[in-house]
Amino acid sequence: MAFENEEKKLHDALVSCKVPDIAKAVEEAHAAGMSATAIIDCLGNSMSEVGVLFERGKLFLPHVLSAANGMKKAMDDLGPELAAGGETGEAKAAVVMGTVEGDVHDIGKSICSTMLQCAGFEVHDLGRDVPKGNFINEVQNGCSFCGMSALMTTTMTVQKDVIEMLKEAGLRDKVTVMVGGAPVTQAYADKIGADIYGESASETTRKAKELVA
Amino acid sequence: MTEYYTRMGDGKRVSMTKEQIMADLQAGTADAADMGEIPALSSAEMEQLFEIIADKNRIVGVEPGHEVVLTYDIGQLDFTGDNGNSGNGVDMGRLESALLHERALGADTFELAHADYSIKPVKPIIANEMQTMEEIQNEIVAPYFYGAMPNMGLYYAPDGPYGNPADLLREFKMEESMASSEAASEHLARDIEYVSTRIIQAGADGFNFDTTASAGDADFVGTLKGVEALRKACPDAYINVGMAGESVMGIHGGMEYDGKIVAGMYPHQQVKVAEKAGADVFGPVCNTNTSKSLAWNLARSVTFIKECVKVASIPCHVNMGMGVGGIPMCETAPIDAVTRCNKAMVEIAHVDGI
Repeated sequence: MAFENEEKKLHDALVSCKVPDIAKAVEEAHAAGMSATAIIDCLGNSMSEVGVLFERGKLFLPHVLSAANGMKKAMDDLGPELAAGGETGEAKAAVVMGTVEGDVHDIGKSICSTMLQCAGFEVHDLGRDVPKGNFINEVQNGCSFCGMSALMTTTMTVQKDVIEMLKEAGLRDKVTVMVGGAPVTQAYADKIGADIYGESASETTRKAKELVA
Repeated sequence: MTEYYTRMGDGKRVSMTKEQIMADLQAGTADAADMGEIPALSSAEMEQLFEIIADKNRIVGVEPGHEVVLTYDIGQLDFTGDNGNSGNGVDMGRLESALLHERALGADTFELAHADYSIKPVKPIIANEMQTMEEIQNEIVAPYFYGAMPNMGLYYAPDGPYGNPADLLREFKMEESMASSEAASEHLARDIEYVSTRIIQAGADGFNFDTTASAGDADFVGTLKGVEALRKACPDAYINVGMAGESVMGIHGGMEYDGKIVAGMYPHQQVKVAEKAGADVFGPVCNTNTSKSLAWNLARSVTFIKECVKVASIPCHVNMGMGVGGIPMCETAPIDAVTRCNKAMVEIAHVDGI
């Protein structure tokens, strides 16, 4: 296989989550003749493995971010060639994220926001205890994904309220609704009419990426 | 084929065959063994778990003589809280609630708690808490602690003085985020020492650190340092360290205690650093997955907790409540599931208390 050695180095560097190592591997792969698109594709695949290791508790959020930062640097360095090949580097889509009204638990939501950002989405994270109307406003302003988190059985119902409000505002067909949080299940997501249920930040990101691929 | 009445992790009633239950038990214990790098349950233990799950009685229990200590967290809030997930909305004073737990509910220990149940908001009202502690100690016989969550999230913006890692990390400000975590952790340790030593001086029999590490690894390290300080200042204080989750989240990623990185620690590793810090009792936690069955969740929980109990040098009082220990996550945890999970923890994980 062509560039097998370079691909392995790119993979190992990204999984090490060290920006200088990633930059060095990118430079060497490019010098060996690997195309910018192939390098980014290889890093993207390795990023998925970083996500798996994160989910398994072997890597942590700062590591994931460091890997993403290394990938971002590679995209910056390879920018001209990527642009010539039609890779614009534009965000995949705009996502509004928030923990619903009445709920102040935001670590899970924040991790999910960060993972989405690392995957190339433009994330508008509204924080926690977010008034229902703020989700609607962001969708009106162009967000095509709406992610809502709830940690409590008493607040998960707000996810349904927001979906109803999106319908009333005539926006439901323009947005992909994502729900998550400890008490939320696929069955609940189906019941309230959400489009994506994410059991974890990685799963949510993967499902969102599949929709914009 | 015979089907058994059981539950999903969100409390939904389902019927499953023995084969289905056994398959979920196998998958649950395998998941814990894989994640925690610990032994899976044996075939005999899984058969025992099946018998507990398949019991025809709605409520199950342990044999006489095998009962364990019941120690409570959240104080009076299980009566007075009214936010739908932590209480019954029954208004009563803290003295009345303490005595009810001791004399009517069979609590072996109980605790005084502030409505916000966090270390930070207790600081400005510590004198009131000390007075209440002294008054209730005059009435109650059972060991009476003070309980609060370290809840280090309250030290980050918008609630506290330090930058919020959730925001800083999104901006790729990794070093600032780590520095913020470290500063908040030190602040938490100072506040724990301030609050806990004063309440012990007012007559508390001990201190219960509940939901430790809810804000991740820095929260855990801050709490352990606070426990150290309390142990040093009050050598006879009874210290209970209860966790927030089965794994310590790495929001910082590199914080260490006793030379070990705490991020990613599972219960059998957490208990060793809690011991080192000076805890008398450890409260391990295993989180419930609402999308999986009771069998999957219970096998997974028992696997984690059994290993924790095995390596511990101090008693382990496992956290058993809504959404932990295999118990479903729904507003009123179903009693069939609650009693099955508790029985399994006593008989298979061999916990010292609940």
